[in-house]
Amino acid sequence: MARLTRARLRRLFRRESIGVDVSAAFDLVGAVLLYLSPAYLFPAVVALLYGESPWPFVIAGIVTAAFGAFLQLVATGREFASPREGFLVVALTWLLIPVFGALPYVIAGEGVLSHPLDAYFESVSGFTATGATVVSDFGQLSRSLGMWRQFTQWLGGMGIVVLAVAILPQLRVGGRQLLQSELPGPTELERLTVSIREVARRLWILYVALTLVLIALLTAYGRLGLDDRMDLFDATAHAFTTVSLGGFSTQGNSIAAFGSLVQWTIALFVVIAGVNFLRLFRVFVQRQPRAVTRDDEFRLYLLILLFASAVLLLELMAEGTFGFWESVRHAVFQAVSIMSTAGFATTDYTAWGPLATITLLGLMFIGASAGSTGGAIKVVRHVLISRILRRELERTVHPEVVSPIRLNRAVVDEKTLEAVLAFVLIYLGLFAVGSLALVLDSFRADVVLTPFEAMGAAAATLGNVGPAFGFAGPLGSYESFSGLSKGVMIALMWMGRVEIIPIIVLFTRQYWRA
Amino acid sequence: MRILVIGAGQVGATVVEALHGEHDVTVVDLDPGRLTALSNRFDVATIEGNGASRRTLQEAGLLDSDLMISCTSRDEINLISAIFSRNLAPETSTIVRTTNEEYLEVWRERQLDVDFMVSSELETANAVSRIIGLPAARQTDVFADGQVQIVEFDVVGRNDGDGIVGVPLREARIPRDSKVAGIIRGDRMIIPRGDQTIDVGDRVVIIGSPDAARLWGETLSADKRRLDDIVVFGAGRTGRAIVRALVDQGLRVRIIEPDPKRAKLTAAQFPNVRVYQATGFDPEFLDRERIGQSRAAVFVMQDDAKNHYAATLAKLHGVSFTIAIVHQAASSEVFERAGIDVAINPRQVTAEEIVRFAHDPRTRQVTMLEGDRFEILDVTVRPESEYADQPFRTMPIRGALIGAIVRDGQAIFPHGDDVLRAGDRAIIFTESARATQVEKAL
Repeated sequence: MARLTRARLRRLFRRESIGVDVSAAFDLVGAVLLYLSPAYLFPAVVALLYGESPWPFVIAGIVTAAFGAFLQLVATGREFASPREGFLVVALTWLLIPVFGALPYVIAGEGVLSHPLDAYFESVSGFTATGATVVSDFGQLSRSLGMWRQFTQWLGGMGIVVLAVAILPQLRVGGRQLLQSELPGPTELERLTVSIREVARRLWILYVALTLVLIALLTAYGRLGLDDRMDLFDATAHAFTTVSLGGFSTQGNSIAAFGSLVQWTIALFVVIAGVNFLRLFRVFVQRQPRAVTRDDEFRLYLLILLFASAVLLLELMAEGTFGFWESVRHAVFQAVSIMSTAGFATTDYTAWGPLATITLLGLMFIGASAGSTGGAIKVVRHVLISRILRRELERTVHPEVVSPIRLNRAVVDEKTLEAVLAFVLIYLGLFAVGSLALVLDSFRADVVLTPFEAMGAAAATLGNVGPAFGFAGPLGSYESFSGLSKGVMIALMWMGRVEIIPIIVLFTRQYWRA
Repeated sequence: MRILVIGAGQVGATVVEALHGEHDVTVVDLDPGRLTALSNRFDVATIEGNGASRRTLQEAGLLDSDLMISCTSRDEINLISAIFSRNLAPETSTIVRTTNEEYLEVWRERQLDVDFMVSSELETANAVSRIIGLPAARQTDVFADGQVQIVEFDVVGRNDGDGIVGVPLREARIPRDSKVAGIIRGDRMIIPRGDQTIDVGDRVVIIGSPDAARLWGETLSADKRRLDDIVVFGAGRTGRAIVRALVDQGLRVRIIEPDPKRAKLTAAQFPNVRVYQATGFDPEFLDRERIGQSRAAVFVMQDDAKNHYAATLAKLHGVSFTIAIVHQAASSEVFERAGIDVAINPRQVTAEEIVRFAHDPRTRQVTMLEGDRFEILDVTVRPESEYADQPFRTMPIRGALIGAIVRDGQAIFPHGDDVLRAGDRAIIFTESARATQVEKAL
């Protein structure tokens, strides 16, 4: 039996029988890691500015660069052409980068983050721009490590792979597939009239520009005395996690630490960051406002935001905890923040009534637009699914009717529709499995977790939202979960970030066969 | 005039039939059988060869021709022969028949060096859309950029108090800006005088403004409702052109097309049109989708027999008004005899359009009615014409009637005291046999 297995393994890994060029994939992952290593300079500089030790970052940077170089040395750098390797590259990148991103936490050894699993959880939550944290005592966190947390979300938000496509010469050929599996949402719906490298370049230009504008705005608020609690450090830290729709904060009570002006500003930028960046580029750079106003996805995006805000406002007014304008602010901010999968909070929404909490749980499944930095199912898929359902209804009455599904007046390919349906089903299935695993493990580990809270945690990690309900709420932390549960949620965040399919496909036999 | 016709199919033959009497016509075609058939009927020269070959064109006497008409069924052949013609004989005018609306668009933007371009699909679609726009109309045509409309109506039943049927014309309440140009009773055509009456069973030819034509349609139509909810059977190129024309009129249209690929293509092209992928021969389907409740049905399938069958079936299900596209010249009569309300032959329509251009340069437009027994001419009046500066009252009627004149771009529907002036464009209803005579007189 054992021999048989070994024989099968050997057969599996004999190079000519494998249909995937693993070596080329590793080569590329190595390149991405190598390009990641200079990023450690930023927190190191912050550490020096605040009189803290830069060594955790320097060491981590050197280790990352060394490993990247090692991978490149070992792997045979072939011309990277096949789209198949793209899945492997994307899956591996998002698994490996957080490992190196967790190094500074472990080396610095501050509080809960000194445990490797917690550090990895925090790092995965950072790079996938989720925002679920195991940190509860933010006073213990040094300035530089705090900034590194925020910075990982910014690096992961638009995607290191997208950046790699923009600058790596090897990716001139296979880049399209990579970008497709990296960018959230079915972006093949977008008719790209420029080269894939140009697309990646545009995405990053816009991303950097939005971040800089927000930093400038928030800093100005602090300087002008509009909000005393905002300084350059916090402005930068929160701009990073706003534009990336990550949701990490340097404060224990998230955005509640700041005044209403900052809250409204961040809400506005969250809404902007939740729009398809390819379309935003056309609006801001090419001056075509119609790219957004005529977009079916954008319209539904705004509509759901307004509707959800109204529902939350209704609940808040019924409870009567806040005055009207404060209720409006909390309702809008929370709807925007949860739906776009940013995960900031202006108040502890876990204390809200059932209508509001269930609405928030529902919003976790909606997500932002395709081609944005947000996670979850994405609005465009909801648009398409509602149209598929409407067509099914029409077909029950008129079986012979041929009615193609349109998006922005263009007919959507039936294959794309099938993929959308499959994605949503897999997403919901994964959510169910994840919730179940969390509930079962809570019994085993004797953690008090209601089924609703388990569903919240599964939805918040799979959708890369961040905070959930109960102790994992916006002011709490994920620290109390057992190690196994954290492992489950790490997997959920990982799969949620790359939109599941590139990872699931790695577990199929067809993928590896020639 | 020397005219070279490329293509001796239905369009070519119709064109030749209309032009051979007054012009020297040479016909080029690949099929010797067709050429023989044509030369047996008419006195024309024939050359066997490819119209897209330079040598054939030269042999056919392109250099001495005044006009070349390319009307094969293949667009590219037609275009290439036109390009050759422009290069070899720049003075020769060219007419090109096309089935591709894109070529037509390019030509309208003056990107194609052709003097006149006709699309069977578009002409057919316009014909269908004009008829559907006027209930009870059998055939319609427009002149002077749509300012003058010629409509042929069936007088089906007497509507009490409509003031038209059964009343002498001089007392009849005829809509303003319109004229009864002719009454067709059985095989006879009557150019009406004031004491003439219109009877049930007649077919009348009206010349008038579009508003007046609509009034006529409403008065003579048994069904006063506007035709909405049109079902089009068949979504080929012609079918889609018809749907486009109907949708542009703001009508609700449904399409039935058996071919899945074509059905999909059509559904993609028309967002607000319901497309069924079905044959249209299935009574259960017609019943389920309430096809019988539609106001009109247009049959645009490839096969005349299929159109005939489907139209009859649709009539059985309650569709009151049916229009069928015919491909064989003989089918028109069969269809009308079988109770299909209107039969349109795209090739006939195309040929008419070509003949209009090819006619006397003074004649802008010609329409044939009742097959080709009657013609409507659009002629500019010469200063030396015997009719110039005469009031209409004093003009003798010689089997012709001036329905309208166009003066300085404005349509006038003349009364007895109005005077015909040189330079006016007269729109004349006449028997085909007298057409040449009328043209000469003016």
